[in-house]
Amino acid sequence: MTPRFEIVNNQYNIAYYCTRHQCLKGNAEKTAFRWIDHKGERANYTFRQLDAESNKMANALLQLGIKKDDVVFTFLPKMPEQFFAFLGILKIQAIAGALFSNFGEEALADRLGDCRAKIVITKKSMLKKLLRALPLLDNLETILVVDGDENDEKIMSLPALLEKSSDSFEIPLTSPDTPSVLHYTSGSTGKPKGVQHVHKSILTQSYTAINVLTLNDEDVYWCTADQGWVTGISYGIIGPWSIGVTQVHYGGAYNAETWMKLLEEEGISKWYTAPTALRMLMREDKNMYKKFSLKKLQHIFSVGEPLNPEINAWAMDVWGKEVYDTWFQTETGSIMICNRPAIKVKHATMGKPVDIINAAIISDDGKPCLTGETGNLCIKAPWDSMFVDYLNNTGVYNEKIKNGYYYSGDLAFCDPEGYYHFVGRNDDVINTAGHLISPFEVESSLLEIPEIAESAVIGAPDDILFEKVVAFIRLKNGITWSDDLELKIRIFLSNRLSSIATPQDIRIIEEIPKNKSGKIMRRVLKAWYKGEDPGDISTMEI
Amino acid sequence: MGTFDELNAIFCKVFYDDDIKISRENTADDIEGWDSLSHLNLVVAIEKHFSIKFTNAEIAKWKNIGEMYDSLLLLIEKKGK
Repeated sequence: MTPRFEIVNNQYNIAYYCTRHQCLKGNAEKTAFRWIDHKGERANYTFRQLDAESNKMANALLQLGIKKDDVVFTFLPKMPEQFFAFLGILKIQAIAGALFSNFGEEALADRLGDCRAKIVITKKSMLKKLLRALPLLDNLETILVVDGDENDEKIMSLPALLEKSSDSFEIPLTSPDTPSVLHYTSGSTGKPKGVQHVHKSILTQSYTAINVLTLNDEDVYWCTADQGWVTGISYGIIGPWSIGVTQVHYGGAYNAETWMKLLEEEGISKWYTAPTALRMLMREDKNMYKKFSLKKLQHIFSVGEPLNPEINAWAMDVWGKEVYDTWFQTETGSIMICNRPAIKVKHATMGKPVDIINAAIISDDGKPCLTGETGNLCIKAPWDSMFVDYLNNTGVYNEKIKNGYYYSGDLAFCDPEGYYHFVGRNDDVINTAGHLISPFEVESSLLEIPEIAESAVIGAPDDILFEKVVAFIRLKNGITWSDDLELKIRIFLSNRLSSIATPQDIRIIEEIPKNKSGKIMRRVLKAWYKGEDPGDISTMEI
Repeated sequence: MGTFDELNAIFCKVFYDDDIKISRENTADDIEGWDSLSHLNLVVAIEKHFSIKFTNAEIAKWKNIGEMYDSLLLLIEKKGK
């Protein structure tokens, strides 16, 4: 039966619909998620348990003095506590955020410092990274450790706290514009920006879960995205649970055979993954796929980077399935443009806008572009899952909204059939495996290495990652490039920022090309890297 | 320091954690931050430290640290001959 989503009694609280509402609708004993850890151990959690566990989390946070609009982050790998915490935070109308588990100390300090997070929930083995960032986090009151028995003023055992917490909680009536989720995203300049969403985002997230991902009551759904990514929140928590869909959450690393086994054994019917993962699967021997029967798998969806038509052809060959490309951003909160089962799929396109939003291609001077003409991909504001601000950066937010349209930063064109075609970014943000990386952040971290005098970072095309991070470095006088130095740089960046932000390629250069006002000419570096003509370099400082 | 302890020290250096205690059974899921990208740092660090070079085929076969260690011992032995 196709699920419906309706707001009841003017209650907009996301966590209410993902837990209590499901119990009241008769889904209390239905499996909300099957947890599979990296060793393959399985545990089922019903909606009743999801409600009770998140209630305990809500009560524990209240006990620590957390109130409406306070910021609480998780810094966890994918694990059940991630979901209980997220929903518990939302139940008390605090603001919930999730940090990628591979973030390093600088990445943590930038984000947690900017939002003045009061509590971070983490696990013992990740505590050290957080403690290294702690001197920069004046507002951080408490660190809750999910597997620890610590108990001092700052670091507390979460299980000990939960043991004393009731599993009953009355979710306060929550208005549609109450702040809910805070995601951090990278821009081409400055530090990462906090993208603030509100509870009414659930309207668009549930709508697209039903009408794009085609989720229904009988589905077993697997979203491979980490909760540190907007997809992991919008479609790994809110969308499916708001309509009572059973999910599978897997805590292990990527492995082609394990993934195929999981799809088969769990009877996954809808699968939401990323082009990078599909490209990695494409590298496997085709015979491997013959060992698995994916009879129950109805639809595959993809998000994060443009989907190459080769993936569609390959998926049709090995699985007999279409892969539907979906496009959205941290700022949009939910799927905006996509290929989907309800429309004719056009490969190598982003698809068509979802019917509850209006998309447009607008030129730099604010005029609508003609069919086939490349321009700024914009969405008519507002829509329910639209971000409401960049935290502490309202000026930048205002720059993104012009004449009632949100400017996504992507360049695209619309063809005569109404399908949108992705062309590229209009800024220097790097999209590597679906993660947006700020060249500025990587450059700044590189400059912390004593041997480096100057740095410039670009994105370059990559067969697996879509784009890879490439760094150009000028060494200080008297420093010689060596394998040891390269390794030192890699290890430093992996631990300071994240492994995703670590350059795949490091090039030594005598001078970083800059224009007369000192701005790095990434366009020139990109052309050099690709062996192309850099074009006009008349503004370059020589 | 034995070879396994030296390997342990490399894990500590690569993952910025002096408390890592590896065992033969450990996999990437047991060490925080050990993903496909940091794996490259780890392999290069091991190769540099022991002055050896793993083949792609060897690397692809490892299912846990024990298998990685066995590959390492074979290469060290070959180098010594």
